[in-house]
Amino acid sequence: MRRLLKDPLLWIFLVFALYPAIPYIGNFISLGSELLLWFIFTLSFNLCLGQTGLPSFGHGAFYGLGSYAAAITYLKLSGEGGGFLAPLVGGIVVGTAAAGLLGWFIKDKRGVYFAMLTVAFTQVCFGICWRWDEVTGGEAGLSGIVRTTFLGIDMKNLHNFYYLCFVVFVIAALIIRSISRSCFGLSLQSVRQNHIRSQYLGYNCNMYKFVVYALSGAFAGLSGALYCLLTQSAFADILDWSKSGDVVMATLLGGGTVSFYGPIVGSLIFIICKNLLSSLWDHWLFIYGMSFVIILCLFPTGLMGVFKRRAASKA
Amino acid sequence: MLTLSLFLNGIVLGLVYAAVALGFSLVLGVSGVINFAHSITFTFGAYFFWAMYKHVGYLPAMLLAPAAVAVIGFFVERLVIRRVYGQDPLFGLLITLGFAMGMEELIRMVFGPATHNVDAPSFANGVIIFGNFLYSQYRLFIALVAAIMVAAVWLFTEKSRYGTVVKAGMFNSEMVGALGHDLYKMRIWILVLGSFIAGLAGILAAPIWSVKSGMGSSILMPSFLIVLMGGLGSIPGTLVAGLMVGITLSMGVLVAPRFVDIMPYILMGLIVYFWPRGLMGQQNIIE
Repeated sequence: MRRLLKDPLLWIFLVFALYPAIPYIGNFISLGSELLLWFIFTLSFNLCLGQTGLPSFGHGAFYGLGSYAAAITYLKLSGEGGGFLAPLVGGIVVGTAAAGLLGWFIKDKRGVYFAMLTVAFTQVCFGICWRWDEVTGGEAGLSGIVRTTFLGIDMKNLHNFYYLCFVVFVIAALIIRSISRSCFGLSLQSVRQNHIRSQYLGYNCNMYKFVVYALSGAFAGLSGALYCLLTQSAFADILDWSKSGDVVMATLLGGGTVSFYGPIVGSLIFIICKNLLSSLWDHWLFIYGMSFVIILCLFPTGLMGVFKRRAASKA
Repeated sequence: MLTLSLFLNGIVLGLVYAAVALGFSLVLGVSGVINFAHSITFTFGAYFFWAMYKHVGYLPAMLLAPAAVAVIGFFVERLVIRRVYGQDPLFGLLITLGFAMGMEELIRMVFGPATHNVDAPSFANGVIIFGNFLYSQYRLFIALVAAIMVAAVWLFTEKSRYGTVVKAGMFNSEMVGALGHDLYKMRIWILVLGSFIAGLAGILAAPIWSVKSGMGSSILMPSFLIVLMGGLGSIPGTLVAGLMVGITLSMGVLVAPRFVDIMPYILMGLIVYFWPRGLMGQQNIIE
């Protein structure tokens, strides 16, 4: 019981279960939904960066393709009064497929070359979605997705949709954490720490990279699908590589390389800056960019790294 | 005729890309930092030029603005890039990316969000006529200046004594330091040189692309693609890759006008997939 109470994830779940009741910030209910789906997104990304050491700039692509997949399945299959299940599954399937395809080809690349091939993939997906008017709606994007009822619950109500995101987040976070704590997750850590040594120990490192990349793409696709349902549209600009850069930066800022909860801290900061700071001052990116540089220059392991170090020095 | 002029446009574009990519490649080789803040030197060059060319004249501004940019490059090195020496290249990439993001916003804050136009200089503001073929004089001027920049950098690294040290530093910077050359000073000078080149390239591009805060980030990815395609530390490789990207971008319009933006990425993906060190690269610092 005490171990359960000490579990940070439990407290995160509690806070977000009560999110609509938080004064002031609880009024921004779609901000809450966006936070939750960004948590899924960055946690999935951190399976690659923090766990396996894969610097992927392709996650924006899986997120965006997931959101297009959800939009298209919703418009084509679900139609009037259709369920949410098909779009969510569509997002997961497309995210996995895209990540699996890319991962299969670049599983043996490392470092900068890996990063650049993912950038190239992202930009190609962006270019296609931006220009292929017949399927993706081109620059105008896809709209006209109307949230209706799901399992008899009215999803037009933002609170109900928030709790749908919450449930998905709880499930996804628990799955991602059990992956990262499983034997598989520990093997991934060995791949990160010493690629050659784990290869000599008999692990097929490239296979591990491929599998974790596809898995991570699945969750990214899922969060993209939720994003599509949240905004009731799908646009190409979330596929641009700079958006993938945002994910990497948020994860690193939070301290994803040293802590499982780093991505949550990072995306909390990023999304709140993006939504609240930007309403106060147009040039919020200046503050965000500069604080990113300063924080990472001082604490290269990110914000969670600071807490970890402090906890270690106390003990 | 259309094909020929597109081809020439491609060469001009490619030379500008190659010039920007050269600075990128030199810094990456000597310092081991993937300097995404390189993009803001390009933007700063164009903005400084736009701010001063009506007051001091075209050619003086073409020297003064890059010099100011080089000073900025110096401070960027002192404030940010110095801190990521010896770290994972991708860490440096993200730090400088964050810095570039902030700086781009600063430019928007100082100079306003509007797009500005710069006139082509009066001595190159016409067309050249060969029979029934017309071509813009200004583009030829760009090609000339960019080619001079590339050639100067090539002469510097191949023929001068200090250039030889720089070239050695791109393959094994620690050994160069151990041989008694001041590696840290060299890193500063190379960054200043790279900023100067990028600033000048920004000026050249200003009349064609017009001056806007996002112009740096639009050249960042192509120039990094070129560095990887050409092979790190190889000036001929960078030039070839730059011309390839430029010609692909401008000739691609004939093949698939809608999907021209993604062609350089496909090209780079294929090259890096099959030739991991690029077309003319050797073993290098980012492997």
